[in-house]
Amino acid sequence: MIELKGATKMYELGGEKIYALDHVDLKVDKGDFIAIVGPSGSGKSTLANIIGGLDVPDEGEVLVDDVNIAKVNDATISNYRNKKIGFIFQSFNLQPTYTALENVMIPLIFSGISLSQRKKRAFECLKAVGLEDRVSHMPNQLSGGQRQRVCIARALANNPEVIIADEPTGNLDSKKGIEIVELLKELNQKSGITLVVITHDPGVARQAKRVVEIKDGRIR
Amino acid sequence: MRFFDYIRLALKNLTRQKARTTLTIIAITVGSLSLILMISILISVRQSLMDTFKAMGAFNLVTVVRDPNSIDNTNLIGSGNNSPTDDNTKKIDDTTLAAVKKMPGVSDAVAIPAGPWFKTMRLDGNDKKTWSSLLASDPSADVFDLILVAGRKLNSTDMDKVVVGSDFLTKYGDPSNPSGLLGKKVLFSSDKGAGYPDWGDLPPKPPFNADKSWWDSQNQGSLEISAEIVGVANNSSMDSQQNYITLGWAHKLMTQLTWQEDDNGMKECQQQQQQQQQAVKMSGNYSNNNSSACDSFRTMTLVKTDNFLTNGYGSIIAKVYDTSKIQSVADQITKLGYGAVTAQNMIDNINNAMLMVGIVLSVIGGISLFVAAIGIINTMVMATFERIREIGVMRACGATRAIIRRLFTFEAALLGFWGGVFGLVISFILVRVVKILVTKYGASLGNLPISNIGNFPWWLVVSVIVFTTLIGMLSGLGPAIRAARLNPVDALRYE
Repeated sequence: MIELKGATKMYELGGEKIYALDHVDLKVDKGDFIAIVGPSGSGKSTLANIIGGLDVPDEGEVLVDDVNIAKVNDATISNYRNKKIGFIFQSFNLQPTYTALENVMIPLIFSGISLSQRKKRAFECLKAVGLEDRVSHMPNQLSGGQRQRVCIARALANNPEVIIADEPTGNLDSKKGIEIVELLKELNQKSGITLVVITHDPGVARQAKRVVEIKDGRIR
Repeated sequence: MRFFDYIRLALKNLTRQKARTTLTIIAITVGSLSLILMISILISVRQSLMDTFKAMGAFNLVTVVRDPNSIDNTNLIGSGNNSPTDDNTKKIDDTTLAAVKKMPGVSDAVAIPAGPWFKTMRLDGNDKKTWSSLLASDPSADVFDLILVAGRKLNSTDMDKVVVGSDFLTKYGDPSNPSGLLGKKVLFSSDKGAGYPDWGDLPPKPPFNADKSWWDSQNQGSLEISAEIVGVANNSSMDSQQNYITLGWAHKLMTQLTWQEDDNGMKECQQQQQQQQQAVKMSGNYSNNNSSACDSFRTMTLVKTDNFLTNGYGSIIAKVYDTSKIQSVADQITKLGYGAVTAQNMIDNINNAMLMVGIVLSVIGGISLFVAAIGIINTMVMATFERIREIGVMRACGATRAIIRRLFTFEAALLGFWGGVFGLVISFILVRVVKILVTKYGASLGNLPISNIGNFPWWLVVSVIVFTTLIGMLSGLGPAIRAARLNPVDALRYE
């Protein structure tokens, strides 16, 4: 479904080229559960961002259903993020002035859905993560685990094919972390959503169907 | 993304920083307020001037003046300037009047003398003096129509009759009962030294031995001439201090009587005496030379100087059948060597003056709006900085660069929009308050054309809102483009 061919990303630092990704080849199949592991600065996030269409490689191809999204315009790649990808962040990145429901509605705004439909769909997503009684809560009225659930609900809003989670349990205690991973696993198993999880928690990596270890921008 | 969602999101984001949003909107409100008030004052002043002209029927009038170049400083209905020292100009007399009357397009014309110049006037029995202002014309000419609130119009044959104007009524009469003035006398006065008119008392005959002190005594004191009020005119929209008399009486008043020494008789007498003396000399019979014997032959005659004849009229006002003929009539007058003043000249002058005033006022308004625009830019730059992470989340959730750009531009445009709306609302309220104050203490403000100011034409309302919204949009465009250019990965990582 998503295939990286020779994806390379580099930064200039003091006139020296540093490879964040060095000719990476990776195939993500439908229904897959990939854990990307590796030390910090190894290029895990860059890899996840390129898969999710937030970033494009300097060299190489990112084929999504045989279309190279590294070479398409902003509208197309934005539409790809909107419709096919759901992002989950370590620090949740919830809008502090929006309610849980409004936060979940954000991706739906950009897909041009009417307000009533947005509310309906956002409520469904919150229900799916077990937060139907926290709909009107502001993020600061929610616990860490609940916030991450709102974040997952937001990622689910547009029925994505892939969820990319960057350290989803990094800001949670181990008990809440396990709950979140269970929730993600359930989505993978029941709804067939592809999961790409960046983690350095071996416990999380162990749950994955496939572990991709990355170091110095290369897959080992 | 739906259009309505842009507005919803922009509103939501603006209410997030209420204090900052309010302050920014206040700045734009002040800017638009000054612009609105200045423009509407300009419009209403111009409108009331035009209304005045219309009330005067000025759009059908051409004024003939002596100086072909002086079209700027002359009143349309006024006496013009016939100062005899103006040698370069052509005299306006009855021949001119006849010529103007004959011009194609002219329905009638009337001569206006540049006088009579009384110094002051007052109502008989009232010591309060005011400056005298008289307009003399031939009442039989159908040129301008005075609206009377009491009494009758002047007849051509009327002497020492006057129709007083609105100012006179408010000063000496009761505006609610203008007929109260009818039949009363107006006393016009001038210095005796200025000479005696061909009306009323004759100047005292100077004695034979009149010396400087006698003449000085004659020049002291003032001369009063009375006229009966036969009508009260409502001329408040034009020249409210003007009062009206007939041309015939003005002619009398403008004719000056002076005593001049006629020494022909005395000279004859002296010659005869000399001849007699010579005859006596030749006969050798000497006698005393008695020259004073001839003094009885010295006579004084009263001489009339007709100022109309020597100086001509101050101006001629011609009425034209059709407004479109104004220019052709004016051209014919110019060909005769006179100056022609039309309402168009005056409108041009007013428009020019208004344009200048307008430019100055717009610059002031523009500066305040410019400052407001900087306020918007500042607010939007702050907003983009605060929301970098949020921009990253929106991009991750599928917002295109264009959506981000439009979101911020919309916010800035909304700031401008509300500034314009509040500016209009506040100026509307301000004008209402001023109007109430004016009707309460109206007299102190004189003739200010305040009545028109509140009536904002619809195009002003629309263009002010469009203008401030546009200023908001343009101010927000820079920060919005910056926000849209942010790399989503960096934005998400931003602390």
